[in-house]
Amino acid sequence: MSIWEKLTSLPREIVMTLVMLSIIVPALNPLGLPLMTGQMSQDWYDTIDALPADSVVLFDVGYGSGGYPSLGPGNIAAFHQMFDKDLKIVIMATSLEGTLMYPLVMAGVNPEGNYGAVYGEDYVFIGYIAGTQTAMAGVLGDLHDLVTNDYQGNPISGMPILDNVGGADDIDLVAYVTTSGDIAEGWVYQAYSQYNMAVVGGTLSMMTTSIKPYYDSGQLLGIMDGIKGAADLEFLTGHPGDAIVSSDILTFSQTLVLIFIAVGNISWFMTRKGGSS
Amino acid sequence: MVTMDPQIWLAAFFTIAATSYAFRDNAVFKFAEYTFIGVAAAHQIVMGVKNIRDYGWTKIMEGQIIYVVVFVLGIMLYARFHRDYYWMYRFPIAFLVGNGVGISIRAAIHSDFIVQVSETARTPLIAGDAMGTINAIITFVGAVTAIFHFIFTQEKLHVGAVGWIPKIGRWMMLLAFGASFGNTVMSRFGMYQGRVVFLLREWLQVI
Repeated sequence: MSIWEKLTSLPREIVMTLVMLSIIVPALNPLGLPLMTGQMSQDWYDTIDALPADSVVLFDVGYGSGGYPSLGPGNIAAFHQMFDKDLKIVIMATSLEGTLMYPLVMAGVNPEGNYGAVYGEDYVFIGYIAGTQTAMAGVLGDLHDLVTNDYQGNPISGMPILDNVGGADDIDLVAYVTTSGDIAEGWVYQAYSQYNMAVVGGTLSMMTTSIKPYYDSGQLLGIMDGIKGAADLEFLTGHPGDAIVSSDILTFSQTLVLIFIAVGNISWFMTRKGGSS
Repeated sequence: MVTMDPQIWLAAFFTIAATSYAFRDNAVFKFAEYTFIGVAAAHQIVMGVKNIRDYGWTKIMEGQIIYVVVFVLGIMLYARFHRDYYWMYRFPIAFLVGNGVGISIRAAIHSDFIVQVSETARTPLIAGDAMGTINAIITFVGAVTAIFHFIFTQEKLHVGAVGWIPKIGRWMMLLAFGASFGNTVMSRFGMYQGRVVFLLREWLQVI
């Protein structure tokens, strides 16, 4: 068996061990590689930065535990920026597991401790609403008709933050972070297309190619592109967290993937060449 | 110093168990998989009941009797499990499909078709800087050639003097698939490295 044939049939245990090492080594010894902020993240940041204090943001936590490592850090950075700017945040979940992610994110933000924010006045969590686009249309159409209690069961009628928020006309920005293509598209359909609202979206990197046409056509004002976008936001907001730690690791591990792809292709061509001769 | 927090130990165990599949299928992975399915199903049931209570039952208690219709439609969904009353479940399905299509179709046509076409047509080929111009040309060539590729009713568009146009369209799409693949790899690594960092920081506390 030639060296090329051995390389094409590399055991998965070896590949996975190398992948693990490519993550563990830079995690233990950070290289501190420079971070180049992407335009899509910069646009997300600028869109929120341009909002005056007390503007209302409808924020959808549209992901679950699987998406948390990629999207959670960006969600935390986004909330830091919003609380820092004294925006009013109405948080909801169109993903079933979003209700489980909400406390994790809030533990990272600590709005009461860091910003003196008050639940019910500066932010509220209205919980999971089933139906995806039906839920979006309902919240933007008539929030109080659809939702009567917050996630904890407290009546929303007496909450100052929702006193003047009846629907799309009273919301200045829709922001979402999601692992679902339906949710990512849904907010563009229901918020931008129906009400011409400002929308920013955060998705997994694998979804970026699908939703980028909405950004290019001005329907999305900014995109948080997975863990890379999260690192950008952490950098821009001045709240370094898990995503910036991940930048070194991703650079290292992605380089390994490039090497694997190159070696795999060269080996395949060399093996074929040897076979045909 | 390894943490003594039992919650983190539990999370660490299931992280290692779930990722052990990357090396080989094994009993510990299966245990983690079944546990996750069980917990996720239980969570769905709880949230489903909560939704029925918050967005259905509460409304009826407030005197909005129209929500009884929603409950009846919901119960009719279960008719599919009965041999004789199977047909009844088609009504709520028809309602769901009609409702979903009605809510999204106008916006979908606007966002995915009208705005995309108008913005693509409106983008000037000569932009303010060189990169912008290159991007605009790639977008224009990619859009036109990819559309050509999907015109199947005119065979002559795929052969002869203009046969190269759909070929370029195919290459453009392959480039897009490559970009999509690269992003997918980054997404998966982003997820995995998040758990590895959790193990090193929260569980082993070495970083």
